[in-house]
Amino acid sequence: MSDATTLLVVKDLATTFQTPSGPLPAVGGVSFTLKENETLGIVGESGSGKTVLSRTIMGLQPRRNVEVTGSVLLNGFEVVGASEEAKRAIWGLEVAMVFQDPMTSLNPVMRIGKQIDEILRVRLKMDRHAAKARAIELLELVGIPSPAERYGVFPGELSGGMRQRVVIATALAGSPKLLMADEPTTGLDVTIQAQILNLLQSVKDQMSMSVVLVTHDLGVVATRTSRIIVMYAGRIVEMGTTRDVFARHRMPYTRALLEGSPKVSNPSHTRLLAIPGRPPNLLDLPQGCAFAPRCSFATDICRKERPELEPSFEDGHAFACWNPLPVSQGVPA
Amino acid sequence: MLIGIVFIISVGAFYLIHLLPGDPAAVILGTGDSPQNRARLFKELGLNKPILEQYFVWIKNVLHGNLGTSFISQTSVWSTIKSALPIDVEIIVLSQILAFAVAIPTAMVSARKPDGWLDRLLGATSFTLLSIPSFVVIVLLVLFIAIKLGVPHTGVSSYVSLGQDWVVNLESLALPSFTLALGSFVVYYRVLRSDLIATLQEEYITMARSKGISQRRIMWRHAFRPSSVALLGTAGVNIGGLLAGGFIVQYLLSIPGLGYTLIQSIGLSDYLVVQGIVLVVSVGVILINFAFDLIINIVDPRISRE
Repeated sequence: MSDATTLLVVKDLATTFQTPSGPLPAVGGVSFTLKENETLGIVGESGSGKTVLSRTIMGLQPRRNVEVTGSVLLNGFEVVGASEEAKRAIWGLEVAMVFQDPMTSLNPVMRIGKQIDEILRVRLKMDRHAAKARAIELLELVGIPSPAERYGVFPGELSGGMRQRVVIATALAGSPKLLMADEPTTGLDVTIQAQILNLLQSVKDQMSMSVVLVTHDLGVVATRTSRIIVMYAGRIVEMGTTRDVFARHRMPYTRALLEGSPKVSNPSHTRLLAIPGRPPNLLDLPQGCAFAPRCSFATDICRKERPELEPSFEDGHAFACWNPLPVSQGVPA
Repeated sequence: MLIGIVFIISVGAFYLIHLLPGDPAAVILGTGDSPQNRARLFKELGLNKPILEQYFVWIKNVLHGNLGTSFISQTSVWSTIKSALPIDVEIIVLSQILAFAVAIPTAMVSARKPDGWLDRLLGATSFTLLSIPSFVVIVLLVLFIAIKLGVPHTGVSSYVSLGQDWVVNLESLALPSFTLALGSFVVYYRVLRSDLIATLQEEYITMARSKGISQRRIMWRHAFRPSSVALLGTAGVNIGGLLAGGFIVQYLLSIPGLGYTLIQSIGLSDYLVVQGIVLVVSVGVILINFAFDLIINIVDPRISRE
């Protein structure tokens, strides 16, 4: 993997929304790289900036009242500051997104086949018959039974899991090099969740893509990613190989997340440890570490000064904490 | 349900015209004639029978496809309607083509940047148009286009049917069509604009954007159809209203459509013509709304599924 070429370089990325109550820094100071064929997990609670980050990476943030600074180099293309027209050239073909909620991300009055073959016809200039044949192939690839008949149905005639398969087929239509999966299983039943995640894994291998898997559920990323970024209040608080983040994490927030996710290996009736307090209001961030008000290890410096992301072990592990956990404190994956 | 509505309308149409002062005998004989003559004519026309019986005689004939013969002109009511109705249909079709052709693109322009300067300009313009009644618009148009600019065949009773001479026909119907189009445009523009703004916030629009397709395609292929349900519903009601409400414009321009004929017939107490027109217009309004309901079901498959 170390020889693989770099597909994505994100540097000092910041996304700020202009709101009536002032600027809202949704994402700040984010830097990381992603190699070809790699799967990266982005983990954090609701409101930690994961979705905004994933959209900003592909330049898909809202067009108005947003300011993006820093740099996103996607296969040599600078996304930040690029015009909508320039970004259209990479959307769908270089980078595609699997959206969070299949109940809202498919057009309810457009036949699903038409939604899939739009990229084929408009972007790849395929003729109608070739596009339809390819769309049916894609439906089959994502595991939709009798794909030729399903080509003409409306999204409302499909279950949530089937709809998410359609969303994935749509994202795959342009054979992108990078697939952004933004909480692809949040709106689905638990049994369907595993199916969709396995599907993503298998299409990634078949089409040799890189995947950014955004989730609030560490269980989702544990076995499916090679590296993990943990986000809090719009910033990276810890990152590293999946193994390191699970086994040797240093940031108390990472541990809190791990303790808050259920594990099959736990004895039944094990209490899940909820993280006390709420994620901070991004319009009114605390002066020091954003996690300090909820952290049991917080000291004076945590409340005064924000810790920077410091490298610790090899393999790109880094964390932002004044009072990191000792290495032995890790919870095994 | 449909039959029930038509029945109620038939009773209303029949009863209301009989409530009005004046009667056909007075029109035919003049007010100075002797009571004997009046009574004879009443008997001849069947107006001496109890009103309920008159209604049943009429409705029985209607159900047999016979709308009767005018007391005044002695021509069949159906042939009067048949010659007037195409004018109404043509004015409505022309006005609706015009209204949609302008309302859809302007609503899209507005919705692209809500509260942008173009949106504000269009909003202010539409409000101004909304506040000017059609009878003022038509008078102004006649004044400037027909009289000042001297365009022939406009705004006068020079109606020629489409088959006879389509140039003269379109010229004479241009002003009333344009007048009705203005009112429809304002309504369609406002309804579609607000629905488009809501639709453009939807996640599936972001997904469409993520495919790298043009803004234009997103508008037409992804946003327009789910935003057009309220527009179609409004159009159904509005067109029904135009069929009934284009009368003022027809009357002011002396265009012999249904509205013009109806107003004249009311003045002459020509009961059967009035009843016939009201009935035909009502059935037309119901059928138009029914048709639009069907179109809505096709446009948005979610509605029929629920």
